Amino acid sequence: MTTIRTQPRNTMMQPNDRDVVLAVNQVSKKFCRDLRRSLFYGVQDIASDLVGVRRHSEKLRSGEFWALKDVSFQLRRGEALGLVGANGAGKSTLLRIISGLIKPDTGSVMVEGRVAPLIALGAGFNPILTGRENIYANMSILGLPTREIKRRFDDVVEFAEIWDAIDAPVQSYSSGMAARLGFACAVHIEPDVLLIDEVLAVGDVKFKVKCHQRLGQLRKNGTAFVLVSHNPHSVLNVCNLSIYLSKGRLLAFGETESIIRQYEEDLCLSGTEAATGRMTLPAKSAAESTGVDITSLCFKDEHGELLAAPATGEPAYLSVECNVWEPVEAANLNCQITALSGEYDKVLYLTSASDNELLDLPSGHVEIQMQMPYMGLKPGVYSARISVRQGVRSYDIVESFRFTVRAGKNVSRCLFYQPRAWKTIRHSAALKPY
Amino acid sequence: MPPRVYYTPESYLKQPFKLLRDMGRDLLASRELAWRLMIRDISAQYRQSFLGLTWAFLPPILMAAGFTLAGQAQVFSVGATDIPYPAYVMFGTSLWQTFTEAINGPVQAVTQAKPMLARVNFPREAIILAKVGEVFFNFAIKLILIVGLFIYFQIPVQWTVILTPVPLIHLVLLGTLAGTLLSPLGALYQDVSKGLASLLGLWLFITPVVYPVPTEGLFGLLVRFNPVTPLLVTLRELATSSVLTQAQEFWIVSILTWVGLFLTWVAFRIAMPYVIERVSS
Repeated sequence: MTTIRTQPRNTMMQPNDRDVVLAVNQVSKKFCRDLRRSLFYGVQDIASDLVGVRRHSEKLRSGEFWALKDVSFQLRRGEALGLVGANGAGKSTLLRIISGLIKPDTGSVMVEGRVAPLIALGAGFNPILTGRENIYANMSILGLPTREIKRRFDDVVEFAEIWDAIDAPVQSYSSGMAARLGFACAVHIEPDVLLIDEVLAVGDVKFKVKCHQRLGQLRKNGTAFVLVSHNPHSVLNVCNLSIYLSKGRLLAFGETESIIRQYEEDLCLSGTEAATGRMTLPAKSAAESTGVDITSLCFKDEHGELLAAPATGEPAYLSVECNVWEPVEAANLNCQITALSGEYDKVLYLTSASDNELLDLPSGHVEIQMQMPYMGLKPGVYSARISVRQGVRSYDIVESFRFTVRAGKNVSRCLFYQPRAWKTIRHSAALKPY
Repeated sequence: MPPRVYYTPESYLKQPFKLLRDMGRDLLASRELAWRLMIRDISAQYRQSFLGLTWAFLPPILMAAGFTLAGQAQVFSVGATDIPYPAYVMFGTSLWQTFTEAINGPVQAVTQAKPMLARVNFPREAIILAKVGEVFFNFAIKLILIVGLFIYFQIPVQWTVILTPVPLIHLVLLGTLAGTLLSPLGALYQDVSKGLASLLGLWLFITPVVYPVPTEGLFGLLVRFNPVTPLLVTLRELATSSVLTQAQEFWIVSILTWVGLFLTWVAFRIAMPYVIERVSS
């Protein structure tokens, strides 16, 4: 029965063209979060494989979940594939199946040529031994014969920049040095398929540049890449194709730029309430008030219509409505914006006072607008801290006004939206004299 | 042109010929790596040790001292031995130590190499081979002690001594077999290494290391059915008396060892991906 099942699958897997170095076909993998049960299932799997019983790997046992489900793609010689997705999306699992470390539970993987995993920087490094000895051990583990290691030894040391420490034990190295040595060993294997898992962040800036150069060189020589990274920039720089994994499923496969855009938008928008874009605060009584109370916050377009989510590159006016009990002169609107995706960076700090705009607030229900002709922020979720002040006196503070910026103009590979216009100017019909 | 590899969920046993081919290929491919790992382990071991080589000598000497003193004090009575009792104990202990190293080797190797195993797909045979090599290296050092022993006690050596490598190799292989069989489980459960330590204590007790082979009673039966007994006894007899009392048992155990080693190897290959899946990262 099994042979009948296997046969068509193998024929199906034959790649259509000879350049395919990696074909992943309907691969699934299940895991179990409970350690005790997971170990027991492991023993169970070993036992059924040993006696040759089918282990029904396509069915979930109690407590298991699909870490990967029906993932298929192909990679050709010299192509670079990025894997993006949140933590736990199954990226590393996929890499480990491709490198043959663990067996898929369904489907199959075809690999042609030598696979070098950059998951394993410094695998087999023994801290007591010297850098020299460790280079030999590490590169042997990665599958290089001794005479090849001898031939590449100098290049590795040169690349890792550890000439003077090569005969010192690795435990005396700084973490950066050890990481550089590990990276240098791995990229000098010259594999057919290179699997990279979150390791491009080793070393200082100079070394990073060198790593990228080396990767580019390998790619020119025909090495195919699979790169896992949380940093969209390194994926964009290295990969032409990308896969977007989410909870073990392949959501999208295609050109890196569009995949990254989709990933970033999902990353930012997930978890935010379906906001109307307006934040309304309860009005305060005379006793509670300090003189100026913020009553509502929102974005508006240039026609004064409410914007549920401002779009990158489009006009957006931040509207702050207040109850002003007594007229205030020379008020200052303070707006501090933090990006909620990524590393909680403060992205903007704008105050009317630093723009030398002194706001005079008449008494009554007043709206203050900060008019932005272009929304410069990238798509994402942000939090604004908004306060109304006068000198050092603070009237009212809203700690967090959450808003979402939609994708408008294309800002991939940009940190912010730069308004611009393009033009050609002919200075004369004649060429500039030589 | 590097080979094309397929990874599928099927058991390797479904394609026995491919399995055999892969085993052969990996064994060949792992020679160099095994050598490299062995050198790495041995040099790390001696570099981080003050007493260094002394550790190969100390346990047999201490053991012999203890048992000789106990024997002289009539705490227990040992039967007559072919060679002086202290030499008997030291020789026996050195061999027993080699056997326990062979058992512990694979279990330790797999446990220690977990991070490496979880990240790089190298021929897994290499770490076992490296440990076997280390066992032989350590034995070579103990050999200095044994040779010194024979000279000091002026023990006559028979010509059959040149055959001793055969039972020695079988002794190490038997240990490797047991260790390799346990190693995948040992990577999953700590019980294995703990249980192994207690088991080896008991096993030493029913192996004629510090006493000559008993012939009577339940104890005699236990010792007789202990697979280590014929290997150890034959080795000792080849070196000192050249009269083999357990030739038949020796060959039975040896053949079982070779067959068992092959089956263990298959089981090890089948088990490793599942172990790696459960322990990794």
